[in-house]
Amino acid sequence: MLKFIGVRLIQMSLLFLVFLSLLFFLLQAQPGDFSTQFLDPRIPPENRDLIAARFGLDAPLWKQYLTYMGNVLQGDFGVSFQRYPRTVVSVITERLPRTFFLFTFATLLSYYLGFVLGKVLAWRRGGSQEMSITLGGVLLYTVFYPWFALVMIWFFAAYLDLVPVNQFLTPLRWRDAPFSANSVFTSIIWSTLLLSIGLGLALWASRKPDNETQRRLVKWGGVGLTVAVFLAFWMPHEQRTYATDIAHHALLPIFTLALVAFAGVMLITRGSMLETLKEDYILTARAKGLAPKTIRDRHAARNALLPVTTSFVLGLAFIIGGGLITETVFSWPGMGELLLASVLTQDIPVAIGALAMVGALALIAHIIVDVMYVFLDPRIRYQ
Amino acid sequence: MTTPLVEDSTGGLKTGDTLLEVDNLIMRYKTKQGYVSAVEDVSFVLHKGEALGLVGESGCGKTSVALSLLRLQADNGEILGGEIRLGGKDLVPISEDEMRRHRWNDVSMVFQGAMNSWNPVYRVGDQIKEALDLHWPERLNRAETRQRIGDLFALVGLDSDAQDRYPHEFSGGMRQRAVIAMALSCNPQVIIADEPTTALDVIVQDQILKELKKIQADLNMSIIYISHDIAVIAEVTDRTGVMYAGKMVEFGDTGDIFSAPRHPYAWLLLSSTPSIVGPRRKLAPLEGEPPNLLDPPSGCRFNPRCPFATDQCRVEEPPLRDIGDDHQVACWNYEQVPVGITSGSVV
Ligand SMILES: Nc1ncnc2c1ncn2[C@@H]1O[C@H](COP(=O)(O)OP(=O)(O)O)[C@@H](O)[C@H]1O
Ligand code: SF4
Ligand SMILES: [Mg+2]
Repeated sequence: MLKFIGVRLIQMSLLFLVFLSLLFFLLQAQPGDFSTQFLDPRIPPENRDLIAARFGLDAPLWKQYLTYMGNVLQGDFGVSFQRYPRTVVSVITERLPRTFFLFTFATLLSYYLGFVLGKVLAWRRGGSQEMSITLGGVLLYTVFYPWFALVMIWFFAAYLDLVPVNQFLTPLRWRDAPFSANSVFTSIIWSTLLLSIGLGLALWASRKPDNETQRRLVKWGGVGLTVAVFLAFWMPHEQRTYATDIAHHALLPIFTLALVAFAGVMLITRGSMLETLKEDYILTARAKGLAPKTIRDRHAARNALLPVTTSFVLGLAFIIGGGLITETVFSWPGMGELLLASVLTQDIPVAIGALAMVGALALIAHIIVDVMYVFLDPRIRYQ
Repeated sequence: MTTPLVEDSTGGLKTGDTLLEVDNLIMRYKTKQGYVSAVEDVSFVLHKGEALGLVGESGCGKTSVALSLLRLQADNGEILGGEIRLGGKDLVPISEDEMRRHRWNDVSMVFQGAMNSWNPVYRVGDQIKEALDLHWPERLNRAETRQRIGDLFALVGLDSDAQDRYPHEFSGGMRQRAVIAMALSCNPQVIIADEPTTALDVIVQDQILKELKKIQADLNMSIIYISHDIAVIAEVTDRTGVMYAGKMVEFGDTGDIFSAPRHPYAWLLLSSTPSIVGPRRKLAPLEGEPPNLLDPPSGCRFNPRCPFATDQCRVEEPPLRDIGDDHQVACWNYEQVPVGITSGSVV
């Protein structure tokens, strides 16, 4: 298993380098260059050349490429043209947690809701309820996403006035804030990560005891304890009001992204459940006298989970693309927005860096799913 | 605590007492084209300690009978009449929740294609534990559960440690043995084995049948064997019911039926099968196929294929009648059927 992960990591690193090289040449091939975008046209040509030479842009392309790759290997992705003299790495480290936050919550929410609803739909075949929910799912799945996001903003922010219209925080409130928004983001991400690990552990441990009362005790005790620790961490926390401000802003974009992604998950789960329900072991489970809910969750849904996990990898592209649109529409200054702006302004170092980051995240998600598969399906063992 | 392997859960029934009575059972599948009459007016009695066989070509309703006994027929199947009395209690009208308490605890089943009866993501032992947790009278702790499953595995010729393995780590024969262990786990009064060995190769098939027969005798169990393979039924059962097109057409002592079938269908079925016992015999052909049960032939359902059919057969349905020696036949002309299957063909 460890060996498998090792091999996989090496493969992924090589793939990443190829990806990066492609990015380098593709973005160079864009029409126009740095000088038309960032330099005052009144600057005389000889000064222009001097500036280009300072950035190494006068060298032949292959030389630029080698220098760039060499620097990348040392963790240096260059400087931003737009935000000169900030480095690409510093720009990305500022943006990444915001996107990670949005992305993780929307994904978790959509997979959880999609899976639960999908399995119930398949279980209760027939009836108008199933019809209308499936229809709603198909609509959400096929809707033109930017338009849908705007409608969501109009309805929840403008019309109902429940949430802020855009931005990821209320600037006025943060004027004298003693810490950066990023440190708050980081606290939120870490604490919720620990929260979910705690919840996961509680659920896992609750399967161990022999009888139902003990199982329930461990389950609810564990969940209660984890939530209590989480609250005890945040209630007296100095960043609490700032954290709630961010959460308030994040509500609508997360919900919107999750809603669209969830529809796909629901439809896949439903299809996969319907296949699973035809299996012989479902009949065995019924013959054993198990309760319908046990058959649905423990036997059918557990197996239906496998294709859904695969769809996660395939769906990554959508979630990332959807994230880009979400960030643009909601003016959420994360990686997606950065990527779009940098491409539009020919800030090539940032554009390559941002795309490389997205690619790296996708590759890492791939590995995580590969490892998860081992736990989900005992038939899969990597040599 | 040691858990008794054989526990008399049959309310003190003695060998030969009536355990399960099926009376005029009717089960039909509703389809867009109409009703499929898969179980039509079927009656039989199963005694304590008895091995009963149901035989007939594929599509004759054997599996449908078996599933109806547990009320597990497909969603579109409906029990439209009759009674299924287990220890005197009719299972047809009771609630689904009550029915669930009888499943596996009183009547367990080894399914057709039992190879796929295992959920691939759970350990074999855990899937048996699931049944024990549900039905065993007192809560067994981990060690007791392991012990119990180990005992059951020993009974079917598996190592106790095999309970920690996943189904895909078993061979087909092992999976089938484990399925039998699972069927035995809650000391059911009746086990239904639907084509229990059909998917296995002949040698394993034979081993498993022999073991099953031995277990049945040792534990004095009541089993219903279902097979399209008359060799299997002849080998392991005490009494046999022959099914054709959803109907029970002949019922009686296995020895009687196999030496002197009285129903033309049973006679042709046996004659068209290469001999399993005794000398070579001339083969009489069984032509055609079982009818489509959406629209079965009127009168006797076998009449289009029957060499003895008369005009009466095409309009009037023959009832299942006693012909002596606890032998029943549903045929107007059973007396014309040659006695013995080694005699020459009439067609
Ligand atoms: N769910 C169903 N819907 C409609 N017809 C069915 C269904 N299940 C079985 N049948 C039909 O019922 C008849 C009996 O099938 P079955 O009980 O499986 O027979 P056997 O076990 O003897 O092969 C067949 O004609 C089969 O096509
Ligand atoms: S009743 Fe008639 S058609 Fe039916 S089996 Fe007997 S002889 Fe043949
Ligand atoms: Mg069958």
